[in-house]
Amino acid sequence: MLRDNDSAELVIRQVHVLDPATGLDGTMDVRISSGRIAEIGEQLRGPRELDADGLHLFPGFVDVHAHWRTPGREDEEDIQSGSAAAAAGGFTSVVMMPNTDPIVDSPVVVSGLVRRVERESRVRAHVSAALHVGLAGERLTEMRLLKQAGAFCVSDDGLGTTSAGVLRNAMLYARSAGMPVILHCEDHTLATGVVHDGVAASLAGLPGSPASAEDSATATALILAAETGAKVHITHVSTALSAALVGFFEDRAEVTADTTPHHLTLTEDLVSTLDGLYRVNPPLRPDGDRGGVERALREGVLDFVATDHAPHASEEKELPIEEAAPGFLGHETAFTVLYTDLVLGGRLPLGRLIQAMSCAPGRWVGGAGSLDVGAPADLTLVDLSEEWTVGRGTLVSRSSNSPYLGRMLKGRVVGTIVGGEPVHDRTGARFGAHA
Amino acid sequence: METRSLLTLEDVGREEIREILDLARAFAEGRFVDSLENKTVCLAFFEASTRTAVSFELAARRSGALVISLSEKGSAIVKGESLIDTVVTLDRLGADVIVLRHQAAGAAALASRHTSAPVINAGDGCGQHPTQALLDLYTLSDALGGFEALQGRRVAIVGDVLHSRVARSVIPGFLQAGMEISLVAPLTLLPPDADALGLRVLCSVDEALEWGADVIYMLRLQRERMTGALIPSVAEYARFYGVSRRHLVSGALVMHPGPVNRGVEISGDVVLDASSLIPDQVAAGVCVRSAVLALSTGAAQSVAA
Repeated sequence: MLRDNDSAELVIRQVHVLDPATGLDGTMDVRISSGRIAEIGEQLRGPRELDADGLHLFPGFVDVHAHWRTPGREDEEDIQSGSAAAAAGGFTSVVMMPNTDPIVDSPVVVSGLVRRVERESRVRAHVSAALHVGLAGERLTEMRLLKQAGAFCVSDDGLGTTSAGVLRNAMLYARSAGMPVILHCEDHTLATGVVHDGVAASLAGLPGSPASAEDSATATALILAAETGAKVHITHVSTALSAALVGFFEDRAEVTADTTPHHLTLTEDLVSTLDGLYRVNPPLRPDGDRGGVERALREGVLDFVATDHAPHASEEKELPIEEAAPGFLGHETAFTVLYTDLVLGGRLPLGRLIQAMSCAPGRWVGGAGSLDVGAPADLTLVDLSEEWTVGRGTLVSRSSNSPYLGRMLKGRVVGTIVGGEPVHDRTGARFGAHA
Repeated sequence: METRSLLTLEDVGREEIREILDLARAFAEGRFVDSLENKTVCLAFFEASTRTAVSFELAARRSGALVISLSEKGSAIVKGESLIDTVVTLDRLGADVIVLRHQAAGAAALASRHTSAPVINAGDGCGQHPTQALLDLYTLSDALGGFEALQGRRVAIVGDVLHSRVARSVIPGFLQAGMEISLVAPLTLLPPDADALGLRVLCSVDEALEWGADVIYMLRLQRERMTGALIPSVAEYARFYGVSRRHLVSGALVMHPGPVNRGVEISGDVVLDASSLIPDQVAAGVCVRSAVLALSTGAAQSVAA
């Protein structure tokens, strides 16, 4: 790690810079000064240098969907462990979801979390607040006071909305309050099962939730977004139809959408294991949906990737699938899984993956996701050649509910820098090396 | 004798407004005391009202009219008689003018199509409340030095525009007076086409004062809007859409059609402050409604002659 008495300047040398936002793609040197990108060029030297020959440098990854379980379930994750997991996965900014205990639905909880994040988080962490009090879908939260207290956006994540009328008013009020809305689209009258309502569920004898539960809620949300003019982000799109609906509304509403690494790489086949580990919401879908989502991400219809990082205690996952809590860890494996399966599989260009993990979500949170000179030095260093196996021992998160446990993957984050400061460092002595 | 209904302020031009305000001034000065002698004024209030009903009744009585009051209690209205049947009955019994308050927009216009007597709309649902707008223009003219002095002044209309018949009448009224209007409300309390109508939308009373509002026109927030579906809380509403003492340093005048929710749209110490025109609005109700009754029955022509 960097020593405290070192100057605030660092030159990362001979690194392969790839940034679709600025169009940079090639081996060069990057000078960081006072927490910002000061210069990108050749033959840069400085009092402190990192020889990054063979490594790739990207704008820091941004994850708009993280559950750090704070306050209330610090046994599963807290701000320190969650931000360490994010840093280990190359994320320099995240958005924390409000479905905690207590729920983040009052200004006093928001301001408390904002203060704790400043002290405890290794990465930039935006606090989202609930859209409705208690996530109950009835009373609007005090969005303007929440914003003044430091909330970045509003979401009832984890739950769909009780009715279209309620959602419409919430969008209108959020627009007045200048708050983006993140929507988990799910119709609870349809989503009555625990896995996708498909062949695997039928064979296993598990109650299924049909794709229509997501698709009808997504359609409603998009129509209302177009009508109200609210800034809406639809998270964890998992079906081909929902992705197509997002595409239809691309130019008709101020809407963006993400999908997750697991919906891009895993399918309902895992249901046959009957292992509670594989329960997630929205559920893993058939390969046709996985492929549709992948195509939508490749074509930019889905704007970016978010992990829905959802730590759970082992006693909540080591259960029959019907009784297990839904959710996967996401931060630490996101890039590697997508690089291994989609980029090395020839299905997604590396540049598009970086757009989807850095540039587009960085633009959405604002002021992140590009290597412009003068921008904050939020950077991710990756060794694309390193092979590693996901195991409980490799995970930094306090929980271990990763669906990729035991998978051998290629490409690994070796360094994460936030505002010029290394927050994750597997480069050994190289970070502190002097010329 | 020419009679005329007053259904919506959208139909009332600038010259006609000036005429009504001038006549109201004459009534206020004690002229035309018996202008409605031998006239029968029917007050048909299908919906509860305090100040509008009382001021219409006073306006009629002070001008010497015979007043018949139907309220929802103690009339055929509670027996389920339809609006049309009620007004037709009043018409045939010899009403010279019917003053109608009803819970549904368009009720006054519907009634007027079935009566020979003129109908004055005393508030129909979320539709119109034209005499309120006229008394507001009267009050404001008084405060600012005459009707002509309203030209170019800025008024911010704050609160539940969406459900407000007052807003739908004062907006055309203020526009006829040459005033600039902004609406201050969350989008949940605004009609969807507010900006399409060319009205500026602002986000707080503070913003309205920065914009240079000369007048802050507060609307009443109905209790049933306070349950959290349209606004999150009274605290947040009061913080951004309420007038409190700190806003008064700007010198802006404060108006409210009443009844006021103290602590919601107006903090208690503002209601009767010197910059509040609220008591003047109530006072203006009588002379303005006398003028409207006189004009609608044709009595004004005979007193002027």
